Amino acid sequence: MDRDPAPDIELHDPEEVTLVARGIATAVAPESGLRDVQAALLEAIASALTGISVDYHSLEPLGPDELADVLAARDLSYRQRIVHHMVLGELVLRPIPTVVAHRVAKYAEALGVKDDFVRVARRYAQGAYGLAWMDLQRSGFVEHVQDAGDTKPKAKPGRRAADPFAPAQVDPELAARWSAFEELPPESLGHSVWEMYVGRGFALPGTPSGAPEYLAQHDFVHVLADYGTNLKGELEVFAFIGRANPDPKGFAWLATLVGLFETGYITGTGFFDRDVQERNIQAPGMPQRLADAIRRGKVVCLRNQKDLFEVDYHELVRRPVPEVRDLLGVSPKSSAAIEGGSPGTFELSGMSEMQRRVAMQRGGDTT
Amino acid sequence: MNVNFSQMISVRCDDPSVLIDMLQQWDVQQAASDLMGYMGTRLLADRERPGQYVLIADFGVIDPDVSAADEAERNNERAETKAWAARLLDVVEGEPEYRHFDELYRTDY
Repeated sequence: MDRDPAPDIELHDPEEVTLVARGIATAVAPESGLRDVQAALLEAIASALTGISVDYHSLEPLGPDELADVLAARDLSYRQRIVHHMVLGELVLRPIPTVVAHRVAKYAEALGVKDDFVRVARRYAQGAYGLAWMDLQRSGFVEHVQDAGDTKPKAKPGRRAADPFAPAQVDPELAARWSAFEELPPESLGHSVWEMYVGRGFALPGTPSGAPEYLAQHDFVHVLADYGTNLKGELEVFAFIGRANPDPKGFAWLATLVGLFETGYITGTGFFDRDVQERNIQAPGMPQRLADAIRRGKVVCLRNQKDLFEVDYHELVRRPVPEVRDLLGVSPKSSAAIEGGSPGTFELSGMSEMQRRVAMQRGGDTT
Repeated sequence: MNVNFSQMISVRCDDPSVLIDMLQQWDVQQAASDLMGYMGTRLLADRERPGQYVLIADFGVIDPDVSAADEAERNNERAETKAWAARLLDVVEGEPEYRHFDELYRTDY
């Protein structure tokens, strides 16, 4: 076991980290043993969040009651995040063995965690994909967004929707607001997001084929967190946003993206469509990139205690990107993520083939 | 090996939209409820016999120690299932015909 200190990581007891890893590995291992994709992802997450490296393939089993004893002093939120790591370890499997989904539920129960995503994973394992997506939307997005709507008094019209995947509306006022970002200083958040849209041929929100206004909020985060816009970049940005959310239901974003772009459990959300031509999470460097996105999200969560979808970026568009990063506590990427190939927003390697073609035709300042 | 189970209900009905509404409401309710074996339903219209419909409700395994058929049996005992079945009687003509099947093959995707 190695110790690899990294910035923004709270100190952890190496023994506790190993015991937790043993519990997680025992919970999510299929009968034939932990799969490589599970081990790589869980190792990367443990390393990113604790600075401690654990070899998930060589761990002794640890039962649910023993894991509960290890985590007895931790609060519910911490234990729930541990359960989410288990669920993530399940969600990368297709199929999810029923025995695994059932076992994870037993661990969650032992930890005193009642979590909707445990149930969603069990529905996948059962083969009830339609019901699972309904459940995921309801428990992860709809109720959550409605809750947020109750607590934020000064809503811009149409900025929040009860369903974040509701179809976009043509809205000239909204389109004009986004279009005006072009006139802002080049280093500003607004101009950078405008450049990201125009530079790869995206229709602006409010225009035909534009992203729904609520979902377009995540595009500010692409720029702020410096993530690309191909499928791997989307996985990173939603892992980041999901963990930045103080409400554990934010995990729904990563669960959804994994279902869309890794396992194909979800056929489409109305804006994103399933694409499993490549197993993105299994790609070299992706476990480290995702784990770092989760770590960076956690840092933002501790700093802001606010869902990044609820930030009024339109109030911040004139400010330089580095200033908004500081404001929200967006930390730099880790060396592991960079070595894993995490490209910046404006790098060609962070774009899909189609986006790259548009960018090259424009001859922009891409690298 | 997990074996799914299907319950087939044959009914006569003048207005299939009522059946669709009932099934949609059922699914929304199930997605918000504790887990049980119910996986989903298909409603099929008989092309040769207008007004004749078949509902196929699928059940799967969620606990390795409980079969899908047993999950379906447990579902039959639930108050909401009984209420749904009672409402079905109100919207169809005559008695629904129930048949039960173990799944031997399914094309996965």
